[in-house]
Amino acid sequence: MFHQTPTRSIVLVFALVALALYAIYGGYFAREIVVEIAILAILAISIDVVAGFGGMVSLCHGAIMGVSAYTYGILTAKLGYPALPSAVAAIGAAAVFGTVVGWITARTTGIYFIMATLAFGQMAYTVIFKSRWLGGDDGMGGLPRFDFDWAGIAMNKSLPFALYALLLVLLCYVAAAWVMRSAFGRTLCGIHSNEPRMRAIGVSTIIHRARAMGFSGLLAGVAGIIAGQHIQYISPELLFWTVSGEALIVVILGGLGTLIGPMIGAIAFVLLKHELSGYTDHWHIVVGLVLIATVLAGGRGLYGQIEHWMTRRKARGAAQNA
Amino acid sequence: MLDVHNLSKAFGGLQVTRNVSFKLEQGERRVILGPNGAGKTTLFNLLVGELKPTAGDILVGGTSISGMSVSQRSRMGLSRSYQKNNLFEDLTVRENLTLAAAAAQGKIAWLVKDSFRDRGVKEAVEEAAELVSLTDLLDTPVKAASYGNRRQLEVGIALATRPKLLLMDEPTSGVGPSMIEGFHRLLKSLPEELTVLIIEHDMDLAFDVADRITVLNFGEVVFEGTPDETRGNPVVRDIYLGDWQQDA
Ligand SMILES: Nc1ncnc2c1ncn2[C@@H]1O[C@H](COP(=O)(O)OP(=O)(O)O)[C@@H](O)[C@H]1O
Ligand SMILES: [Mg+2]
Repeated sequence: MFHQTPTRSIVLVFALVALALYAIYGGYFAREIVVEIAILAILAISIDVVAGFGGMVSLCHGAIMGVSAYTYGILTAKLGYPALPSAVAAIGAAAVFGTVVGWITARTTGIYFIMATLAFGQMAYTVIFKSRWLGGDDGMGGLPRFDFDWAGIAMNKSLPFALYALLLVLLCYVAAAWVMRSAFGRTLCGIHSNEPRMRAIGVSTIIHRARAMGFSGLLAGVAGIIAGQHIQYISPELLFWTVSGEALIVVILGGLGTLIGPMIGAIAFVLLKHELSGYTDHWHIVVGLVLIATVLAGGRGLYGQIEHWMTRRKARGAAQNA
Repeated sequence: MLDVHNLSKAFGGLQVTRNVSFKLEQGERRVILGPNGAGKTTLFNLLVGELKPTAGDILVGGTSISGMSVSQRSRMGLSRSYQKNNLFEDLTVRENLTLAAAAAQGKIAWLVKDSFRDRGVKEAVEEAAELVSLTDLLDTPVKAASYGNRRQLEVGIALATRPKLLLMDEPTSGVGPSMIEGFHRLLKSLPEELTVLIIEHDMDLAFDVADRITVLNFGEVVFEGTPDETRGNPVVRDIYLGDWQQDA
């Protein structure tokens, strides 16, 4: 069951403020990194919703994000619709895609679920890769950013865009946290814990799992919009299964089922990548070693491990006082 | 209220349920007796939809529920507890009961409101906890609860859905005499209008709470009658020899 503890709120605010300050004072390169973190963090949070709370380890979230980005690209660059309603429609398309995949795969669990989502993701990837109209493997350019000139915000500048991406991280986190501590999230945790018993007490678990994939798809859709607007160009690579795999690693690295963990994981992952790639091409190995270490330490992830130490210390303190 | 009609079930060549028919009146307390392997649990699995019968029909209030899923039947008011504990192992007692109460009240997909803070849900949880004597253990993690308490919770989850028809599969299996006493009191304190079908091995308990008794053997109904009729029946005596002699 999800609890938005005070510590989690503090860590969330602290992380966002630190990233904002980094963007403000760090120059162009820092802003690029912040946007990269934001996209990965939202994608990781959306995976945490289904994997951490629902026990559904998905390998199609990159594809869901891509569906959103391509829908946005089609509506704006191809068909000339305005950016804001196109973004809403694109996020909706991602939610629908997630729901459909969720509904079809809801009869499977464990490794079979992973394989089924992988298949759907790769199917979407192939469709876009093969489509001439969508640019095939050349991708699609000319995706617009939002126009907030009326408010005096120049979105084509790197700083406002980085701050906008961070704002969306905050919104997605709050939405996920809120839904996970509502009836929706409680039911999802129940299904994770014991799906047959959930059916026995009257829950249509297939429908609920599809709904969860839909909600998660909606969040992944937001990441897709930022990804599309960031370099104003998209390619099928966005949908490739390794994107989902990398985001899944980020979730596990940060702490499965904590929501804040995936965000910490995204920060650690991107920073590690940029720091290390200066020294070596094999930065993956280091990330792999960190991942192995966190898994061996109990699989709680970076944030989960720290929380675990804190509650243990508190428990010990309470025992001493008693 | 429940009308079971010529129900049969085979696993491959093994006929586990044979032409089982019986009727329950609303508010009736019916005990099912039968030796191990008689097909009692399988009958429950058929009633709640966890297994599909090879033949026959099940009617609740006159309408067939044979085509309904497990969750649909549950929402109609059928609720069961399991012979082998089937709990939400990684959650607390309260969370177990709350999931059941919320599900039964249809409070499962609110995006903004928390079912765990809902007054209607909380009332059902407190009520169920009171019935199975778990009020003081509500915040205990299931993993830390004793076997007896887990047994109580198993029934508590079924009760938290406020069923119309409650099916209990050997609720007292593996618990000591004092807890059997507790279950006995629980059965006596259930609302009168609740229909109860219970598989039970404890004879004192069975004879005391039952309005009628159905005896299964090799998947077949071999006897049905009042507790008094059951005591004197030679067929039942044969099947249950060991237990009955102790009892007589
Ligand atoms: N899923 C199954 N597949 C094959 N045989 C089964 C299955 N479930 C139960 N059986 C068999 O059906 C018979 C009746 O089992 P069960 O209904 O559990 O009996 P009871 O509850 O009366 O002890 C047993 O012989 C058991 O081995
Ligand atoms: Mg049995």
